[in-house]
Amino acid sequence: MILSNTETVPGRTIREFYGVVTGSTVRAKHIGRDIMASLKNIVGGELKGYTELLQEARQEAVERMVAQAQSVGANAIVNVRFATSSITQGAAELFAYGTAVKVE
Amino acid sequence: MRFEGRIPRDDVNVSRNSMLGEAATLVAGIAIVVLALAVLVYGAVELVVRFLPADVEARWFRGIAAEAPGTGDPRLAPTQALLDRLAARWDGNPYVFRVGVMPAEAPNALALPGGGILVTTGLLDRVRSENELAFVLGHELGHFRHRDHLRGFGRRAALGLIFAALAAGGASVSFPATVSAFTERSFDRDQEREADTFGLGLVAAEYGHVAGAEGFFQGLPDAHASVAANVSSWVATHPVSAERIEAISVEASARGWPTVGALTPLPPDWAPPPRE
Amino acid sequence: MTDWIVVAVQIGLPAALLLLAYVVGTAVESRHYRSLRARELRTRGFPVVTFREAPPEWRITGSELVTGSVVISLDYFKRFLAGLRLLVGGRIRSYETLLDRARREAILRLKEDAFARGCHAVINLRMEAMRLNRTLGAEGGTAGVEILAYGTALKLEKRGAV
Repeated sequence: MILSNTETVPGRTIREFYGVVTGSTVRAKHIGRDIMASLKNIVGGELKGYTELLQEARQEAVERMVAQAQSVGANAIVNVRFATSSITQGAAELFAYGTAVKVE
Repeated sequence: MRFEGRIPRDDVNVSRNSMLGEAATLVAGIAIVVLALAVLVYGAVELVVRFLPADVEARWFRGIAAEAPGTGDPRLAPTQALLDRLAARWDGNPYVFRVGVMPAEAPNALALPGGGILVTTGLLDRVRSENELAFVLGHELGHFRHRDHLRGFGRRAALGLIFAALAAGGASVSFPATVSAFTERSFDRDQEREADTFGLGLVAAEYGHVAGAEGFFQGLPDAHASVAANVSSWVATHPVSAERIEAISVEASARGWPTVGALTPLPPDWAPPPRE
Repeated sequence: MTDWIVVAVQIGLPAALLLLAYVVGTAVESRHYRSLRARELRTRGFPVVTFREAPPEWRITGSELVTGSVVISLDYFKRFLAGLRLLVGGRIRSYETLLDRARREAILRLKEDAFARGCHAVINLRMEAMRLNRTLGAEGGTAGVEILAYGTALKLEKRGAV
């Protein structure tokens, strides 16, 4: 499955398009990360725990979007966009969406 | 580019688990962790209490006991004298006890680390004989004997810290707090009963009988408690009075202390300080 | 004896409320999913894409901005589950169904809005989400989530390749 956030897959042409496919996941951090984050708030620096968490969540959202695209028989997703929103304090939703197409 | 309307599978963004099952698992898991924490905390506090000698404690907390409030109340001196007499009956007493008076409506008495005892004006107003006051003071001495005040302080401090950390983490679940509140109350009730027994012993040694003790509880409002009062007694730290009266009678007959006898009256000038 | 009554009430009452929320919430959710699937089936011939430009074969006679939005509320059981999850971390499954329904509903409303205006397709779909907070109650928790879907709806001269 080819992914791109441009109009078309560079160098290929789109033959068919099937509509929007989406992937989302809601993740919560756990107490341990929270305590580390509070400590880091004092000294500053990258919150590695959070970075990893959000990377995993984004990865999962993309995988779900790819699964949807596969189910309609596409071989590429173009114009992919991401949206992150905070649902409740301590939990975030990662959302990825794009148009499923068949390229050649 | 041709459009073909196809519907993607709709089960990727949701997890097909039973939410009830997940709830049960999470609740059970968290409850186990909280219980384990509570056991650890209580165990740690027990260790500290056991290995902290009373004279070290007396030294550390001397500052608190030294500022005994209520010096304006004329009833303070006879109460202190009574306390000293009762404390003398406790073999191996490591504390120097000082009593203070707090202005408050409800009758109550508190044990402070280091040997301080606080009584409320409500208590002093309500006692009708020296025996009753002696029992209350003896009860507080019982708490010192069993180091209850340290235990309670230590437990509350430690659990309070843990729950503050959890709350800061963003969890708004009150289950753990309720569970721990219940278990705390039941410990307190056992402590209260043991303190009652010790106080009874001191009173029996001082007067030869335990007549006044029951009298004190008869005077308290919830002695003839209704069901509603009984229901709320579970979350009160002191066992309800009817239970305590019964416990006292049982203990007295078991130890052979007579439950009737002449009550020593309070000093003649026993009255609250005149209001300005 | 009365002690156990107190314990039973103090734990049983919230548990009963949770169970009620779970049962009713699940019923509402199933009904919504049925409606979503039916409407998605009906409108599958209506293209909605994230392309920024229309396919070159389309002959466009008009365009307008269209939106579809929905606010979904969090029920007591879902909030309780999420609260537990916040202690241990991981995926919050109860919110996933909520957001899935909300997003699908928003896109369907977008399609229905565009169709009602006589348009034939929507391009440049974008989605936004916003959390609404509760004003009553002790904690400033989440009352609901608003999902907005918006895009440019096109009127086509002839549906051509569509």
